[in-house]
Amino acid sequence: MSLLTRSRLAASVCKRSGSTGLRALSTVVHEDSDVVIVGGGPAGLALASALGSSPVVQDSLKITLVEASDLSKVRDWSVASDSFSNRVSSITNTSRQFLAAIGAWPYVDERRTMPIEEMQVWDGISDARITFSATEAAPAGTTAPEMARLTENLNLQRALLRYLDTTPSIKLLDKVKVNSIEKEQEEGGGWPLVHLSDGRVLRARLLVGADGFNSPVRSYAGIQSYGWAYDTQAIVATLNHRPRTHFEPPNTVAYQRFLPTGPIAFLPLSETVSSIVWSTKPPIAKALTASDPAVLATMINAAFRLPEVSIRYLHSQILEAHAAGTPLTPQQILEETSWRERSHSINQYSAYSLSALGKTAPGGIPPEDSDALPPFITSIQPDTIASFPLRFNHADTYIGGGDGARTILVGDAAHTVHPLAGQGLNMGLADVESLFRCIQNAVANGTDVGSHTALMPYARERYFENHKIMSAVDKLHKLYSTTASPVVWARSVGVEVLNELDTIKAAIMMSAGSSRRSSTQEVGWSVAASGIETLARNINTAKALGGGVLGLAGAGAQSLLKQFANMGRS
Amino acid sequence: MSTSSFRSSTVNPDEIALFSKLSSQWWDEQGECKMLHRMNPVRVQFIREKMLEMQREDTDTDAQLDHPKALAGLKILDVGCGGGLLCESLTRLGGLTLGIDASASNVAIASLHAAADPGLRLIPGPFVPTTTPARTSNLTYEHTSAEELLARGGPAQFDVVCSMEVLEHVDNPRTFLSTCAQLVKPGGHLFLSTISRTPLAYALTILAAEHVLRLVTPGTHTYAKYVRPDELLGFFQGFCCPSPGVLGDGGAGRPWISRLYNGAPARTEAETRGIVYVPWTGAWALVPRGSPGARWGEGCNYLLWVRRPLE
Ligand SMILES: Cc1cc2nc3c(=O)[nH]c(=O)nc-3n(C[C@H](O)[C@H](O)[C@H](O)COP(=O)(O)OP(=O)(O)OC[C@H]3O[C@@H](n4cnc5c(N)ncnc54)[C@H](O)[C@@H]3O)c2cc1C
Ligand SMILES: C[S@@+](CC[C@H](N)C(=O)[O-])C[C@H]1O[C@@H](n2cnc3c(N)ncnc32)[C@H](O)[C@@H]1O
Repeated sequence: MSLLTRSRLAASVCKRSGSTGLRALSTVVHEDSDVVIVGGGPAGLALASALGSSPVVQDSLKITLVEASDLSKVRDWSVASDSFSNRVSSITNTSRQFLAAIGAWPYVDERRTMPIEEMQVWDGISDARITFSATEAAPAGTTAPEMARLTENLNLQRALLRYLDTTPSIKLLDKVKVNSIEKEQEEGGGWPLVHLSDGRVLRARLLVGADGFNSPVRSYAGIQSYGWAYDTQAIVATLNHRPRTHFEPPNTVAYQRFLPTGPIAFLPLSETVSSIVWSTKPPIAKALTASDPAVLATMINAAFRLPEVSIRYLHSQILEAHAAGTPLTPQQILEETSWRERSHSINQYSAYSLSALGKTAPGGIPPEDSDALPPFITSIQPDTIASFPLRFNHADTYIGGGDGARTILVGDAAHTVHPLAGQGLNMGLADVESLFRCIQNAVANGTDVGSHTALMPYARERYFENHKIMSAVDKLHKLYSTTASPVVWARSVGVEVLNELDTIKAAIMMSAGSSRRSSTQEVGWSVAASGIETLARNINTAKALGGGVLGLAGAGAQSLLKQFANMGRS
Repeated sequence: MSTSSFRSSTVNPDEIALFSKLSSQWWDEQGECKMLHRMNPVRVQFIREKMLEMQREDTDTDAQLDHPKALAGLKILDVGCGGGLLCESLTRLGGLTLGIDASASNVAIASLHAAADPGLRLIPGPFVPTTTPARTSNLTYEHTSAEELLARGGPAQFDVVCSMEVLEHVDNPRTFLSTCAQLVKPGGHLFLSTISRTPLAYALTILAAEHVLRLVTPGTHTYAKYVRPDELLGFFQGFCCPSPGVLGDGGAGRPWISRLYNGAPARTEAETRGIVYVPWTGAWALVPRGSPGARWGEGCNYLLWVRRPLE
């Protein structure tokens, strides 16, 4: 659809000026662009790339992306091979296959990514553990080498920008902010006019809000959203650790322990570097991020290993010291942890012992339970400690109507979710894939891409899907914040969390190609069953911790559940 | 609303008055015309796929199905264009499109809407037939009837003639069909969509849509005016164009449909396809060819494509 210039005076007559591509109105001069994407985060860049991958779309639509920050910093991002950015995401196979299909994935530096072959998730109080592994995700008769790929956000965004360098018809305007959006006054029109900080005005046939949580497009569209801030802050950091030995599985296992203060997740990036996302109460986050990085490193090691009662104690020590203005020194925290360890009679040759591991030289025979825990962290990479507030937020609708017509939301502008299942960015990419398909269909059938008719399938496809994942994540967060024993028991034997885990597992593992709507029911039984398969390990863990009555009580219930599972399958 | 500014024996004044009253609603995608909006992409898909199929048939080449300008350079007429839903789409696919309607207010709304879209080149009416091929797609609307257009510019003016959801609203459907058909160039295409006269169609389009669910204004449809697919096929079996002697060249045209095989025409002559609303997707879908129940799928809304033979 070409750029046309028309005079406002002759409402129904169309004149071509051709040369300037500008359109003179009585008040503003504006440029026409069929698709205006606000936001150059992962979602916005992926949408621009997808549109750029389709010659048909490019022939028919003029596409512009507007981003407030300086994208050249992302394009030219380059760091040593052993240092990693602190913002990482687990890219699911579905997302990766989409990025590969549009031709953008080859621009990702794969050496900086890590396949995840297994995920271990356990209860901070009862230690009941669930393992997801890549082989379960594989369609019958094949083997899935991985269930997701840990990737720095910057690596992905740089890839998309490099890919976009090959599609010059897509216009990228960076270092330009959207100042305001207003509705055009022309009768029969009423399209969004996007006012940019450099004075330009874009008139959009379709205005895409890929502009994150505080979406200006969402406000223009008049779309309300529903949500709240969790009383939780996520600490992120890049960790150095020893490589795994030959006797252990490679560093391709992601670990997450649910503490009552929030989950702590360990996400591998290379053999010796991993990333942490530690969700916790804001005062604790504040004290931890203000501490000496060596103190944080010890606290991370402890958070995966010590019984919950000791973590609580250590938190109070850190908080007190922080409040008193005399933060704990690395030596002090080590003394505290080894004291706690002795009091729990943790065998010092066990992987659960902080002191033993700290002393063991690389190599040698690892403790038998070492694959139940992430590798021992030796240090934190400089300047990688940061923290973000966590929130739940879902727009009431994804398509603007009435005065906010011709708008659509994708990614965090539409939904913000707790990172415990690592789905935020993947949901955004799934949005983009679906919207891309809608736009392609609209172009093929000559439908106005800004019309409700063109966009409706996108909302139908994504809204409920996202909502399902978000509610499951939210429920898990709340469930695991509880310390009341009936709840702990119920979640430990899987009764309470089965449905939520199904949804999340389906989201993580659903490999592209398999049916998107594949029933989560089936997945459900295998979650139950795999929970049981790791039972033996739970019992060992319980022994190592010198307690774990709850874990053992759970065992009986789990074997009952297993019978159900088998009944369900036969 | 006056409809007497042009000659026509097919325009039913009551029908036109009703559509004129609705005119302000044409582009409210959630309003009275919601179903037409949702149906539109499927109609265009049918047209596009059929045109490409015939292009491949004619030239023995592999015309690209996903080509965005499937209708590039073709002269297209849309009879009973309403608010211009179909016209705008056909123009985006490259057509040189003329939309006509018996309601002046519909034409006004259609023009206003297209004028606001910088991607459409709206040329003010009245439509002037030209022989010089235009390079870029364009769109014209005019308040007139097919009969008037035929009288003014003669037969065989368009590569493609469409008339969607109009047949069930006209008087003298035989005259209407014959007029539309005469406007098609030799080797050109006629696309129609309408509602079949079956109990199912009555239940869905009149009972449910008008009276129970109130999706459309009661009185919009009249059951007796519905036409079944076999009746349309029968019409074109007996329809020759040019009819013997009419053009004075003595050439007796062949019927548009030479014969039916098991009630179905040859694939290169004509085709009927049902379109059904799929509630759980909220979209219309073409009933796949040869699928079980394809006949049943034509029991309500359906599309017809028929091609004028080359002389
Ligand atoms: C601690 C943490 C860990 C996470 N881990 C994972 C994970 O493992 N897996 C996963 O899938 N997801 C994860 N997420 C979520 C993921 O990071 C987000 O979902 C993702 O970044 C959202 O991308 P987006 O493009 O939608 O929005 P954003 O990344 O927020 O991008 C929005 C862009 O819009 C621009 N913008 C905004 N307003 C304007 C304006 N007025 N003018 C111009 N530009 C504007 C901004 O500059 C920004 O670049 C995590 C999130 C957090 C907080
Ligand atoms: C149901 S609407 C369909 C509009 C449009 N074709 C669509 O499908 O979006 C029927 C239209 O046909 C017009 N109409 C009815 N009889 C007509 C006739 N004999 N000649 C031209 N237009 C007619 C009406 O004014 C009305 O706009």
